[in-house]
Amino acid sequence: MGAAALSVAVAGCGTSSDNAGGDPGAPKTLTVWLMDGSAPTTLTDALNKEFQDSNPGVTVKYEVQKWNGIQEKLTTALTSNNPPDVIELGNTQTAKFAAEETLYDLSGDVNDLNGDQWLGGLKDSLTWDGKQYGMPFYAANRTVIYRTDLFEAAGIASAPTSRDEWVAAIEKLKAANAADPDFQPLYLPGQSWYSLLSFIWDEGGDVAKPQGSAWAGALDTPQAKAGVEFYKKLVDVSGTKAPKDADEATPQQMEVFGTGKVGMMIGLPWELAGAVKANPDLESKTAAFPIPSKTAGKAAPVFLGGSNLAIPAGSQNPDLAKAYLKLLSGKKYQDMLAEGGSVPGTSTDTQKLATNPLGKALAESAPNGKVTPTTPAWAAVEAGQNPLKDMLTAYLTGAKPLDQATSDANASLSKTLAG
Amino acid sequence: MIAKKVAANAVALLVALFFAFPTYWMVATALKPRSELLTTGYDLIPFSVTNANFTTAWTKPGFLGALGNSLLVSLTAVLAALVVGLLAAVALSRMRFRGRKGFVMMMLVAQMAPFEALLIPMFLMMRDLDLLNRLPSLTLIYFAVTLPFCAWTLRGFVNGIPLELEEAAMVDGCGRWGAFRRVTLPLLGPGLVATSVFAFVTAWNEFLFALSLIRDQDLQTLPVWLSGFQSQFGTDWGGAMAASALFTLPVLVFFLIVQRKMVTGVTAGAVKG
Amino acid sequence: MTAVDTTGAAVPTNPSSAPRRAARPDGAPRRRGGAFDRALPYLLLAPALVAILWLIGWPVLSVLVTSFRRLNLRELTRGEVVWTGFDNYAEILSDPGFWLIALRTVVFTAAVVAVSVLAGLLIALLMRQISAVVRIVLQVAMLLAWAMPLLAATTVYQWIFDQQYGILNKTLVKLGFDGFTGFSWFSTGTSTLAVIGLLIVWQAIPFLAFSLYAGAIGIPKDQYEAAGIDGASAWQTFRAVTWPELRPLLLMVTFLSLLWDFKVFTQIWAMRKGGPDGGSTTLPVYQYLEGISQSHFGVAAAVSVVMVALLALLTFQYLRRLVRSQEGSL
Repeated sequence: MGAAALSVAVAGCGTSSDNAGGDPGAPKTLTVWLMDGSAPTTLTDALNKEFQDSNPGVTVKYEVQKWNGIQEKLTTALTSNNPPDVIELGNTQTAKFAAEETLYDLSGDVNDLNGDQWLGGLKDSLTWDGKQYGMPFYAANRTVIYRTDLFEAAGIASAPTSRDEWVAAIEKLKAANAADPDFQPLYLPGQSWYSLLSFIWDEGGDVAKPQGSAWAGALDTPQAKAGVEFYKKLVDVSGTKAPKDADEATPQQMEVFGTGKVGMMIGLPWELAGAVKANPDLESKTAAFPIPSKTAGKAAPVFLGGSNLAIPAGSQNPDLAKAYLKLLSGKKYQDMLAEGGSVPGTSTDTQKLATNPLGKALAESAPNGKVTPTTPAWAAVEAGQNPLKDMLTAYLTGAKPLDQATSDANASLSKTLAG
Repeated sequence: MIAKKVAANAVALLVALFFAFPTYWMVATALKPRSELLTTGYDLIPFSVTNANFTTAWTKPGFLGALGNSLLVSLTAVLAALVVGLLAAVALSRMRFRGRKGFVMMMLVAQMAPFEALLIPMFLMMRDLDLLNRLPSLTLIYFAVTLPFCAWTLRGFVNGIPLELEEAAMVDGCGRWGAFRRVTLPLLGPGLVATSVFAFVTAWNEFLFALSLIRDQDLQTLPVWLSGFQSQFGTDWGGAMAASALFTLPVLVFFLIVQRKMVTGVTAGAVKG
Repeated sequence: MTAVDTTGAAVPTNPSSAPRRAARPDGAPRRRGGAFDRALPYLLLAPALVAILWLIGWPVLSVLVTSFRRLNLRELTRGEVVWTGFDNYAEILSDPGFWLIALRTVVFTAAVVAVSVLAGLLIALLMRQISAVVRIVLQVAMLLAWAMPLLAATTVYQWIFDQQYGILNKTLVKLGFDGFTGFSWFSTGTSTLAVIGLLIVWQAIPFLAFSLYAGAIGIPKDQYEAAGIDGASAWQTFRAVTWPELRPLLLMVTFLSLLWDFKVFTQIWAMRKGGPDGGSTTLPVYQYLEGISQSHFGVAAAVSVVMVALLALLTFQYLRRLVRSQEGSL
């Protein structure tokens, strides 16, 4: 359910009431909603304790929310009479909430919140109409996770740093494991559109470009087509058995990687963790490299997955909430985020992250991170029938030639973005 | 005729197999260890079993609470729908009065309403009643949604019971209510079972409204709790299947209870009638 | 589910002299508590009436009203009420994609309803012929199918039909049909709908079978014996005895199936989100896409209204019969 779905409530019964702070001496509760798996418990425990200690009379009501159904939950909460004070929003969701004027404008507080160290891609995702409606929390992006032992066995000396090296690595893996019919040098499902974004961006193109106040699709440009063609090249060269009409969740890519018969996958850190959980042997045999660019030695731009923190407009304790965010944006907690394996949102220091190969790859690619078009209409693209996915499947299965697949998808995308 | 019976039984067992297979598959998946979920081997029968998934499901926080909430909401809704529906069914079936056709049509048309489209208006209504984030809101909605069906179906069943039976009972000295209770009600057994199971399953499995109207995690119902197995970090399919299996059990129990009570009621009626 | 034989063993010999419960316009002899008797039907109906008007009628009205507004994100954030008359309807009805989707919905619904009702009927009749133990086994198997949560059922079916790891493809290959290695059941809209249809039918038959069985066992056994004595074949017996008795119930469950199967959304969405490339998109999916995912709530409301109108059209015959009928037959 889209954020706006239940916001009919806002339209129907007036905007949420302006709440005065109430009796200043009374004990206050700060309600904080963070998402499942975002921050390590060590971090949140320490943070909440420190905040309560330095603000006597304030209790932090901290709740971990599940991602499934969070749109509905947030919308219900934001339109009720006492919304939470601090919420976590996925970066692709933020624009929608911001545009509906359901979030506090934090433009004036950016400096307080370490504004000069904000991660570029996340900052873009929370800027609407020139104003900042949140604070970056953390990010994670995709890297190519690979099997170090299989690479060694196939005679691949070092991790690929260009597209050509990557393709060569795939071919070497394939040759070295030809005896095993179940082996896949690269597991790449047909609808992994986030990976496609990297390829398109690397070519200098984009999925959509702003046109005046609206956005229009840019999938029919030569750059976008080149990106799609590279995707197909990877699928063809590797001969991956992954379904061409599903994304990395069906079946779960990490489970497939966990069977031990896959050389590489383009995935997020938690996918590696999941694979290791399924197959603990893998822990010492895996590493990652940033998605290579066509230009040797560079990393391709990546889609920056991650979250922002925001204050609902109807919060009863906005000042306390800001203080909470300020505390979280400090180096101490940002370092804890990095230790936990995420790219911190308000700190450029990624030393703690680069302690393992995956973290290093993450840290390397994050500054090069971009997000999808920051427009409320983008949420509809992801919530509905994603034309990028359909385009990939049609082209990969041969149902449509490249030009038709891209132009059909472009038309559909432009239509949705027009709102 | 034994050959006919044997053939019929054989066919019936095949049909039962068709229906039971996906359920079997759900349980088999729940029993498979995680490492064996994605295998290219022929795993119709699991290679090895584990109870790890069931333990995960059972011990996952909120299970018992969600179970209790679902039971409370579903049973109340079913009871209300049955009672109100039966009253309406009797009126519509046995009595003649002005506007009767109109009422019947209304029961029919009420079932045409697209359920999902009603979410927003219902949300507003519950908010104005200050029932948001409270379980009675769900009970009311499930009651309202299953009521037209219950009334309509029970009417059909009441129609199927000849008036003469009640009248015979009344000749024997029962009052109108007594005749109804002793004669008609037991004969309605199958009808009541069908409608109550339908109403229960509808309420038990409903997800969208339960998700949107209830905010507190300790008030959530089972379907919402179940969706928690799908996190941002992939889905614990083994756990989800185990949880689904546990989830289906109460329905089975409900059916078995209702089934037996109805049968005893009916046999008593048979002696009488 | 068993019921008692309702043969008229207790039918009084002189029906016309038996007192009738309903009040007669010409004044029947028994008229105890006349005013109460007259009010009774309305009293019995009152709770149902209130519940339906308030909890269903009001939201439905609200949707109808919304269909005449333009209600997108912009209007939403500013709380504007913009009346656009029939523009939403014009937009939908002039879109050729809409008509394709509508046609697909009707065909899909018809197929699913036909298969489930027919299968339900056959199973109901079968249930009469089998021994009690087998019947319980069958009933439990069907009940489990009916009760399985939608999320679980959809997932299980996705797995069974999975291209690489699905047990169906594996079994077919084992039986010698090598063409099914890595076969994708979801490559076209039609085959996707076939799988979804199977899922829906699998969960829909139990209710139909139970209801029709309840109806079938109400048919007096001696009618069958009479037919047997007359030397009727199975088909003739069915036509002469079973069909007339079951017809009202059959029509009713078909009607209900039509309503429910037409509105199915969750399974279609969960399976492939209306893909591939929109190939399995039906009207309910279209309504969701317009409304919840694109936030065109006015248009979505109009789609809802059109859906209901289409449903009314499809069930028109049944409705007309109902309006015209005398009591008893329907």
